[in-house]
Amino acid sequence: MRVETTVAARVENLAEVRAFVERACAEAGADPRAASDLKLAVDEVCANIIEHGYPGRDDGAIGIACEDENGMLRVTVTDNGRSFSPEDIPKADTSSGWEERPVGGLGWHLIRRSVDDVDYRPDPVRGNRLTLVKRLPDQD
Amino acid sequence: MEIQVERRAAVAVLAIAGSVDGATAPALVAAFREEVGGGWIRIVGDFARVDYTSSAGLRALLETVKETRQRGGDLRLAAVQPEVRRVLDLAGFTGILKLYDGVDAAVASFGA
Repeated sequence: MRVETTVAARVENLAEVRAFVERACAEAGADPRAASDLKLAVDEVCANIIEHGYPGRDDGAIGIACEDENGMLRVTVTDNGRSFSPEDIPKADTSSGWEERPVGGLGWHLIRRSVDDVDYRPDPVRGNRLTLVKRLPDQD
Repeated sequence: MEIQVERRAAVAVLAIAGSVDGATAPALVAAFREEVGGGWIRIVGDFARVDYTSSAGLRALLETVKETRQRGGDLRLAAVQPEVRRVLDLAGFTGILKLYDGVDAAVASFGA
């Protein structure tokens, strides 16, 4: 199974992105928990692209491809916006008290926590490519 | 996403329905700010009909927790559904937010 779509990089399209991932997960036989995790990760990836990749623009495009392979679902998200360095993203604070806890900065943390593998290949010429892999539990 | 506000004594109950994401979170932030700005610092978020939140929703929640607690109030959540609960867990929010099974219990927790 391989399905792909392209959406305009606008926040009002995030719901459509999640619906697309949900349909792909259903087609791949993913359990609801895996589907929820993958939806969250793809939403966060796209929200980052919209906010940081195409800042102040609404003419950017985001490509999303879902494929299943050997009990895994792989989602590839592509864009032609600004790239980033994952190692420069500050570590999220998920443990301090409410007074010290900074507001925001959780998107990348949620992506890392909700899928099994994240691979990012920035490319200013051919476009940035971020791949998420979610292992699907045996359905037997 | 839709938001309905109901006052119960000194507590503002915001019943939220739908998905909270980068598109809808600004309306949630605005609704919370309006309450706090109007002096309603004891707020219950009724999450019974919230089927999804991303980090955008978490920002709205943490901002409001800070704003209300600094004024002696709080934002407390009721009837959080499993999918949203999982995001709160992943983000470490269950350690700082007070969660209740239902709206009545959340409202009562304020001593109202």
